[in-house]
Amino acid sequence: MMGRIWTAYRVELSKAARSRCAWLLPLLVVAAVCLTPVVQPLARDGAADYGFIAYATRVALNIIGLIVLLAFSASTISSELASGTIRTTLLRPVQRHEFVAAKLMLVFTCAAIIAGVAALAVWILAASLGDLTGVSYGGEALYSNLAMLRAYLLGMVLAVFPLSAAGAYGVMISSLTRSPGAAVGVTVGLWLALDIAKYPLRIAPFLFSSWVETPWTVFVRRADGLDPAWLPDAATVVLVSVAWTVAFALVAAYATSRRNFQA
Amino acid sequence: MAVCIQTVELTKRFGSTVAVDRLNLEVHAGEVLGLLGPNGAGKSTTIGMLSGLISPTSGSISMFGKDFRRNSLEILSRMGVLCERPAFYGHLTVRENLIILARLARREVTVDRTLNTFGLVHVANKKARTLSMGMRQRLGLAQALLLEPELLILDEPANGLDPEATQEVLTLLRQLADEAFVTIVFSSHMLHEVEGLCDRVAIVNNGRLLACERTGALLSYDESRAEVLLDGAEAAAKRLLGQPWVISAEARSGRLDVVLTEPNIHQLNAFLLGKGYRVTGITPRRRTLQDYFLKVLNS
Repeated sequence: MMGRIWTAYRVELSKAARSRCAWLLPLLVVAAVCLTPVVQPLARDGAADYGFIAYATRVALNIIGLIVLLAFSASTISSELASGTIRTTLLRPVQRHEFVAAKLMLVFTCAAIIAGVAALAVWILAASLGDLTGVSYGGEALYSNLAMLRAYLLGMVLAVFPLSAAGAYGVMISSLTRSPGAAVGVTVGLWLALDIAKYPLRIAPFLFSSWVETPWTVFVRRADGLDPAWLPDAATVVLVSVAWTVAFALVAAYATSRRNFQA
Repeated sequence: MAVCIQTVELTKRFGSTVAVDRLNLEVHAGEVLGLLGPNGAGKSTTIGMLSGLISPTSGSISMFGKDFRRNSLEILSRMGVLCERPAFYGHLTVRENLIILARLARREVTVDRTLNTFGLVHVANKKARTLSMGMRQRLGLAQALLLEPELLILDEPANGLDPEATQEVLTLLRQLADEAFVTIVFSSHMLHEVEGLCDRVAIVNNGRLLACERTGALLSYDESRAEVLLDGAEAAAKRLLGQPWVISAEARSGRLDVVLTEPNIHQLNAFLLGKGYRVTGITPRRRTLQDYFLKVLNS
């Protein structure tokens, strides 16, 4: 089964690589990064420029990156349902849950690429226009630039988990509707509605969307000269994201396996 | 002959609508079976179930002697399917569309040969979304035949093809059945396509199998109906109408269409010669699939 999923994933990757929309995702993220100095200029001051990195990363990843990932993931299965190409794939020796798994892997890859591109673009921008020489307080060096880079990279790796859960959420909605437009609308709309309602409803701690910002907490606090711990927040981000990813994947696989496709 | 496809009490309901109702069908290896029926008869649903795209409500399908549900991967790797409206990845070229299908099946195949067989070489590097309807149908057929399947399931294979391409496809399918022993099940509205290609026809309506007969038996000559070429057709028709063994006789532009009570063309010939008519030819009418189709549906 793993071999078939891997093959289907490679096919999905090659299809995505030939699609202009897929290339638009990282380009939009880079554009968001490049425009951030207009809103928050670089100060050419060690700690402040790390603050810029944290701000730009959150704008690029948690707003623009998240929305484009939601839109992309919401169109993965729904566009195949709309065009009928899903039949073409399912008429080959690929089981339906394997097809869904390949789509999920594609979305996870996109999440990783978006996170990587955003992090790289932000760091390169800050390094070229700012002053990244580490964080010091009262003349005492608290964190070297390398220590900040490590915290940033770890934050980036952690950020892939909630982004992947968001992608899985998009794939799940995508498996439930034949219209890509409706799927994108529902995915983004429901996300926004939940984001507004989660605090009054007191469900925020259970939603992975509440943990999207958490991977950058350590980096942000270090930029402020504090000494935060990775745990338990990092573990919570991973656990909540993985739990939701599995739940979304199961719903998507179930919905696809129950669907009839007209020959 | 080994049974390639067997359905037992195969049923599909969509809500309260019964699309396929307890269908029992056997298709033998190397046989070409035509699935006929009016619109909404259940042909596409049957084809959908046979190709695994639609889950049956009840009943079973076995192919190559194996239960489809339990062995779907193995069975799918041995069959090719053409859907009624074949779908492609429009942003990929014709060649890429075929390559990704071969990759999905994890098979090494020569795409160029398939492109050549279906006359797609000149559009091989064009985006699939730019293809005309006929070319799309050719690509659909190329996808179905790409992996050299043992079983082909085709929904309206000549849909959108011009007469020349239709003939080419039908000839190719017949060759596959005769030479490569490929089992073919196909549905079509075009009865002449089915006539020329199928070994057997199954007629379905309202989801039920109404009849399943060998095409050869259906397309025999009907010696109770004849077309006679002779001089004086009008007068001969009048004379024939007076005979108790003639049901009808109609003169049309120098020829005579005669329907007899019994298949006895010799009697007709002898009668006309005896009355001094110069008969230049008598042709018994060939039964058509359309006759049979309408007869089954009306009964």
